[in-house]
Amino acid sequence: MRLRVIGVGTDWGDDRAGLRVAELLERRLPADVGVVACRNPGLELADALRGVDAAVVVDAVRSGSPAGHVRRVEPEALAEPRAFSTHGLGVVEGLALARALGCAPARLAIVGIEADHLGGETLSPAVERGARAACEHVLELLADLRAMQPDTGGAARA
Amino acid sequence: MAERRTIEVGALARVEGEGALHVALEGTAITDLRLEIYEPPRFFESFLRGRALEEVPDLTARICGICPVAYQMSSVQAIERALGVTPDPPTRALRRLYYAGEWMESHLLHMVFLAAPDFLGLDDGMAVARLHREPVERALRLRKLGNRILATLGARPVNPVGVCIGGFHRSPDPATLHALAEDLRTERGEAEALLDWFTTLDVPRRPQDVELVALRHPDEYPMNEGRIVSSRGLDIEVDAFEDTFEETQVPHSTALHSRIRGRGAYLVGPLARVSLNRDRLSPAASAALASVADRFDQPDPAASVFARGIEVIQAIDEALAAIDGWAGAATVPTWAPRAGEGMAVTEAPRGLLAIAIRGDARGEVERIRIVPPTSQNQAQIEADLRALLPQILDRPHEEMQRRCESAIRDYDPCISCAVHFLDLRVDRGDPCDSA
Repeated sequence: MRLRVIGVGTDWGDDRAGLRVAELLERRLPADVGVVACRNPGLELADALRGVDAAVVVDAVRSGSPAGHVRRVEPEALAEPRAFSTHGLGVVEGLALARALGCAPARLAIVGIEADHLGGETLSPAVERGARAACEHVLELLADLRAMQPDTGGAARA
Repeated sequence: MAERRTIEVGALARVEGEGALHVALEGTAITDLRLEIYEPPRFFESFLRGRALEEVPDLTARICGICPVAYQMSSVQAIERALGVTPDPPTRALRRLYYAGEWMESHLLHMVFLAAPDFLGLDDGMAVARLHREPVERALRLRKLGNRILATLGARPVNPVGVCIGGFHRSPDPATLHALAEDLRTERGEAEALLDWFTTLDVPRRPQDVELVALRHPDEYPMNEGRIVSSRGLDIEVDAFEDTFEETQVPHSTALHSRIRGRGAYLVGPLARVSLNRDRLSPAASAALASVADRFDQPDPAASVFARGIEVIQAIDEALAAIDGWAGAATVPTWAPRAGEGMAVTEAPRGLLAIAIRGDARGEVERIRIVPPTSQNQAQIEADLRALLPQILDRPHEEMQRRCESAIRDYDPCISCAVHFLDLRVDRGDPCDSA
């Protein structure tokens, strides 16, 4: 089975959270789980999702929860893709494009880490703790995704 | 009394930034036509005053997420002229490579996601991806190559930062360049196939009586250097830009309208570049032009998508030429602050990007003026719509609106850039018609 963890983010402040998870997990994952960093999810998430049976996408989120809070985000709960402008494409649009191109795996989980501030070049301490907690969450999700029957077609339940 | 009607597009889709179109008609007469740019002004020219010259390339690059290289290239060369700095030949080659990467990315995204839906009668790029997977995948693969070029020279693919006065902060690793060249060589056929696909689509014809303006270089396809020429005999040094073109404020737009003094609207961008530089195209790009030659007999903004496709092939060949001919590590000349003025005009994906800068003895910006391509095309877009509307007045409202929006998109307007610049509203004054 081919699995992949995709850390989404930019180099700005807490928006690094997904990239940080990818970095932390790199040495902790079994051989059949790949890790990729994705800095331009709108156009590159489709590629990152291609060719795997299951994937976990990790990204910083803003939902009003305390900084560093880790939550499972259901793909269905994401906002509708924005009108297609090539300037501002995010995970939602990237996922829609991946589905349109038929390269999104049926088994997909999204983990959000609540961001605090998006400036500067480092993670805020609460979000660094959140990224570490998210790693454990991702490992559990991978186990769930692996255990899922291939024909369920839906997202794994956490 | 003649019937009054309006066409209103409150928020133009598939263009970059926020704009609207308002059209008012009385019978068959257009009483009002405004491409409204309501994206807030951004005041770059004001807040850059007093900043250090070396900060300007990276700061102006933030004007646009799609064409940061254009802002870096125009600003850094304007600064170099002000300081009397001459970059070495390897730097010159790398700058062509860097620009080629941006042309590829910008053109490819516009072609498949912004323009193709118009030719397929689809709502958006996602629908194109669902129904025409192969060309979209092809464009995405090619775009990735453009992206690799930007990451190689700009240190990162988004908001690249590699440019400095006199060159690049870091010379690229030859092995990285050669790997890139190999992939570019493999993928050129993909670019040809993509253009072929567009020739099978229902791309409208809308020939215009318009003056085309682009750079022209003695030997090369224009990117960073050349004289400014037009289809009506204009042929000037870039230093004469401000004397030749004028910008005027119009009440309905936060972008300025450009005109050639004493002549009027003009068109910049890929259509103008290809039309005025046919003899500078690479053999493969030239062959691609030959395959759609009838679309270039008369200036036709609707044929811009073909010009973009030809320029993707050209950009691949430019990138290959730059890498294959690269003489090795570029050196960055030293420079010292001095009071002086510099002007640079380069070919952004959407057309001429002029930047004039005056620095003071401390090496700080005293004055900067930025004239982006979309504001130069704005008057021509309105002229285009004025020519188009009389031909489609008998069409249903929805179709009129769609045709107007599609015409605007032919210019690939970048409203975010033009703000120093769409939605369509056609005002026919008849409640039944203003749905």
